Amino acid sequence: MSTSRIHSKPKSWLWGTLTSIRLTVFLLLILAAVAIIGTVVPQNQPPDLYFSYYGEVWGQLLWRGGFTNIYFSPWFLAPILLLTANILACIVHGLPQAVKRVSRPFTGETALNLPERGRMTWPAGVNPQPLVQAALSRELGSCRRETLPNQEIYLAERGRFRPLGPYLMHVALLLILAGGLIGKFWGVNGQLALDQGKVASAFQVGPRTELPLHFQVRLDKFQVSYYEPGSAPKEFRSDLTFLLNGRQVLRATCRVNDPVSFGGLTFYQASYGTESTGPIRLKLQGENLNQSVEVPFRQPAELPGGRGRIIIMRVDGNFQGYGPAVLLAFSAGGGHPQAFWVLQNHPELGGRAGPYRFSVESIPYRYYSVFQVRYDPGVWWVYGGFLLFLPGLYLAFFRPAERWALVLAKSPEGEWQGRLLGASPRHREEFAAHQERLLMELQRGTPS
Amino acid sequence: MISQIFGVVMLIYLLAAILFLMAELWASLRLQAAGRLMLWLGLGIHTGALLGRWVESYHLALVHSPPAGLAARLGLIIHHAPLSNFYDSLIFFAWCLPALGLLAFRRDLKGYLGALISVLSTLLLAYASLGGVDSRIKPLMPALKSNWLLIHVVTAFLGYAAFALAFGSAILYLLQERRPRPSLPPLPVLDRLIYRTTILGFLLLTLGIFTGAVWAETAWGRYWSWDPKETWSLITWLIYAALLHARLLKGWHGRRIAWLAVLGFMAVLFTYFGVSFLLTGLHSYLT
Repeated sequence: MSTSRIHSKPKSWLWGTLTSIRLTVFLLLILAAVAIIGTVVPQNQPPDLYFSYYGEVWGQLLWRGGFTNIYFSPWFLAPILLLTANILACIVHGLPQAVKRVSRPFTGETALNLPERGRMTWPAGVNPQPLVQAALSRELGSCRRETLPNQEIYLAERGRFRPLGPYLMHVALLLILAGGLIGKFWGVNGQLALDQGKVASAFQVGPRTELPLHFQVRLDKFQVSYYEPGSAPKEFRSDLTFLLNGRQVLRATCRVNDPVSFGGLTFYQASYGTESTGPIRLKLQGENLNQSVEVPFRQPAELPGGRGRIIIMRVDGNFQGYGPAVLLAFSAGGGHPQAFWVLQNHPELGGRAGPYRFSVESIPYRYYSVFQVRYDPGVWWVYGGFLLFLPGLYLAFFRPAERWALVLAKSPEGEWQGRLLGASPRHREEFAAHQERLLMELQRGTPS
Repeated sequence: MISQIFGVVMLIYLLAAILFLMAELWASLRLQAAGRLMLWLGLGIHTGALLGRWVESYHLALVHSPPAGLAARLGLIIHHAPLSNFYDSLIFFAWCLPALGLLAFRRDLKGYLGALISVLSTLLLAYASLGGVDSRIKPLMPALKSNWLLIHVVTAFLGYAAFALAFGSAILYLLQERRPRPSLPPLPVLDRLIYRTTILGFLLLTLGIFTGAVWAETAWGRYWSWDPKETWSLITWLIYAALLHARLLKGWHGRRIAWLAVLGFMAVLFTYFGVSFLLTGLHSYLT
């Protein structure tokens, strides 16, 4: 931001450090390094995982040292805080100057102080003003004219607001950081698991913490569809009804990438599942065996014939697009259990285990849908930051600042003499290119 | 069919690279022009093939979800830009390099620089066609059905390509500094090229991150979730931010900036490949 500390009076060491660009570069690289650790060490896992994966000593170190939630630990937050102070200090330090520079108008008076870049003379009787006007407008966009005693001055300025660019970008970054903080402290982030047909009036915000809703929400229907059986899922869709005091207020469909907002909260389709609502009827076939059995969900059951036992581990309302299915675990004697899916609508894909062949007669099931429930007042700050950052970036990097003036004076003999003045604080190359072309165009009408 | 065209494009890029190298060795302007022409030709066919894949993907989608009305049709077209899996991203990255190179460098794209760009594109296409990457067009998964997909992927990969150009210029800078060759662009030119392409990449990467954040907010309700891809794009962004600060405000030039550009591109490569293969996360449908 500020080029150096030269302008500031010998203030405190602290201020000098805070506004130094060396600190900025150092912090940016430190943040990058800490962020790398965060992508290498798995984040927010249960502590046992670290002990078993990294061993006792390293596991302890990572867990106690805050490396397992690094983006919210001092390792990351301290540099962020320092960077924020650094940015703030640089804004305080440099913004007033930049505003002053931008608001100082470019007048004929100030133009006369610019360094001279070339001279030209037009013969008596030739009025160069249309030519000058055309050349400047073509090369620099637009120009205006001022008349001083005995002089006509054409002024052209580009990138007048460039000095504000870096400050816009940095204010934008502060907005984004502020938005993050606001969301962290005043936002709500929870989950709502809702059975099909059920009504909820609270949602989970922590392992055992519920937050009441000031309305009710009902999951009318959940559907999962597939492009084709066995292929990728096409859509997860929850049809919701919002109620106030038992009265229906809004019906809406919530999909991935298509959240629903109601009463200040936004519901995002996050996950779903199937659960059984009663015992599952299976058909067993085998040696002299052809009978139906009812098996309760997730409870071991001896099979008729006594040649093994099963547990129904999962039910799925639409297993990979093939319709309802159950996941069975079969074990016989002391052997390893084997697990396999049995599909209701596709008995031909059916499972065999031991002497048995399984098919499904009925699966009483119900879908549930899981929603991410959010209220984040910081989002608009973040988006505001995004919107401010881009014009800042454009001004800072794509609008070279240049000032040009062409001073015309008429000699007593009646010939016009021109002096081209101009300067650009940082963009030497663009400036040189403009200078070359301007001089060429201006001298086209002169005899020399 | 279309994936075979990408094979042809790969050969054309390879030929362009050879022409550029020969032009360098024999200091021939005519060969430089031939190399550039070959690169333009490859880019043209590449563009056509990408559009062809887009049309094909759109027609496949029509089977599954026939659109009702113009808006739905437009939405379907946007969603089915061929940018939804790893193969798509490889061939699009390979397109961005010569496209941006020819645009940003114009006549400076020649010799070793031209060869480097062409070789990078060749390698990407070779990996896409020969590396066992699945080239089938698959129906879109629900998370990717968004209007943000197109703009997010396009800005991100154009950004990667701009950083690749900065990397190429930085490598040439370091070579040129060690053993000056009259055929290479002079040091100040290379230094300027590094800076310009870095600015371009920085703008595009910033746009890529912003659009990704807005998309994540509508898909998951969180504009930032410290997913490895997100984090690595931030790391990349921080490195280039450090480069720009160092150059603009500390007056760093030349070798140190060149090394930072090399470091930044390593971060880009890790953001693209490393995260997809070594780390898991929200972007895992890319592999």
